[in-house]
Amino acid sequence: MIESFVVLTGLHKRYGARVLFEDARVQFARGASYVLTGDNGCGKTTLLRMLAGLEPAEAGVLRFDGVEAPLARYPEALRRSIVYVHQHPYLFHTTVADNVAYGLRVRGLPRAQCVPRVRDAIAWAGVEHLTGARAHKLSGGETQRVALARARVLEPRLLLLDEPTASLDAAAKRHAIELIERLAGGIASVVVACHDRDIIDLPGMIRLRVEDRRVVA
Amino acid sequence: MDLLEPTREAFRLLFSGDAALWQIIWTSLYCSLLALALIAPPSIALGFLIAKVPFRGRRTLVVAVQALLSFPTVVIGLVIYMLLSRQGPLGFLKLLFTPEAIIVGYMVIALPVLVVFTLSAVQGADPRVYETARTLGAGRLRAAWTTLAEVRFGVMAAVFNGFGRVVSEVGCAIMVGGNIAGLTRNIPTAIALETSKGEFARGIALGFVLIVLALGINAALALLQGEGGME
Repeated sequence: MIESFVVLTGLHKRYGARVLFEDARVQFARGASYVLTGDNGCGKTTLLRMLAGLEPAEAGVLRFDGVEAPLARYPEALRRSIVYVHQHPYLFHTTVADNVAYGLRVRGLPRAQCVPRVRDAIAWAGVEHLTGARAHKLSGGETQRVALARARVLEPRLLLLDEPTASLDAAAKRHAIELIERLAGGIASVVVACHDRDIIDLPGMIRLRVEDRRVVA
Repeated sequence: MDLLEPTREAFRLLFSGDAALWQIIWTSLYCSLLALALIAPPSIALGFLIAKVPFRGRRTLVVAVQALLSFPTVVIGLVIYMLLSRQGPLGFLKLLFTPEAIIVGYMVIALPVLVVFTLSAVQGADPRVYETARTLGAGRLRAAWTTLAEVRFGVMAAVFNGFGRVVSEVGCAIMVGGNIAGLTRNIPTAIALETSKGEFARGIALGFVLIVLALGINAALALLQGEGGME
C-alpha cells in the first residue's frame, strides 16, 4: 500500500454564497504524481492555493507527514516543503539566476552553496543562455521554465502546478511538459491542475477530479 | 525693480563661500534629510500594512492620512509649538526653537506623503509578488521586503516627494524653529526674512539652491528609475 503523506480532510470553502468544497477529502502519496481536472471555476486552483497556504479555508485539517494542523492556521514550516507555481508565474525584477536563488536565500543558504544548485536548476530547465537576463523580460515559455527551475531547486516534497501550459505556444508547451514529466519522475509529489490532454495522458499520472464540491478519483 | 544686479550678487554670494549662507543651506539639508531618515522606515511599513492587511476602519484611516496631505503646515507647526512650549506636555524636552523641533515638524509633514505614496505603490503591485515570495519560503517580513523591492520606484517616489515637501516648507519651520540665525534658519525661512528686509540677492541665491535641489531630486528619481520606472 502506498503511504499518503499529505491528507486533507473536512475541507470547507466558500466564496460568498457559492460553496466550492463541502467536507472534501484529498490525499497524496509520497513521490506520486497527480493531475487534477474539473470544470472551469470548480475550485482546482483554490484547492492548490489552500494546500500552499495562500488562501484560507473555513474548515479543514491538513496532515503532512504525520503532523496535523488546521488549514485555517497554516503552519509556516510547511512553506518550506510545499511550493506552488502560479498559472502565469511571477518572476521578480532581478536576473534569472537571482530568481532561481530566491528560495535558497530566504532559507539562509550561503552563497557558495546556492551557486552550484542554481546553476544545476537553470541547466535542468534548459535556460542557461538566460542566466543573467532580466527575468521580467522573458517570453511566456521561458518564464514558465524559470518558474519550474525556481521551484525545483528548493527540492519541495509537494509541488503544486496550476495550469502550467495555459496560454503557451506549441514549442513552449512541449518544453514545459518535458520538464513536468521529469519533475513527475522525481522525488517530490507533483499535483498539476489542468485541462491539457498532453499532461493528463502523461504516463504515471494519477487522475483526480473536482466534482460536486468533492475531490474524486 | 532691477533683477539683474541682485541675481549677479546672489551668484557671487554662493560661489564666494559665504559662511552664513552655507550654514542656512546646511541647516535645511540636515533637518530635511535627518527627518526623512527617521520617518521613512516606519511610514513605508505603515503604508505597506494599510495596503496589505485588511482591518476594520482601514478606509477611514486611508481617508484621514490622505487628508493630512493637504493639512496646512503652519497648523502642524502650531500644534507642535503648543506641545513643545514650556507649558506644553512635552515642554520638559526643551526642544522648541532648536533644529530638533524642526525635524519633528518635518517628520509629521513627511509622514502622510510617505504613507500615501507607499500605499498606492503597494496596492498597484501584482498580488503574485507577495504570494510568490511566500510560497518560495519567505516569512511575512521578507515577503513584504520583496514586495517593496518590486515597487521600489513607487517607494523612491514617496521618499523624494517627502523630501521635496519638507525642504521647501516654511510655516512649520518658522513656528517651531524660530528662524534663529546660525541655528534654525533654513532656506525657506531665510528667503522669507531676506525678502522682507529687501535683501533680494540672498533671497535669490537661496531660491536658486532650492530650485537646484528640486530639479536634482527629480533628475535623481528619473535616473534611478531608468527604463524600469517606465514599464
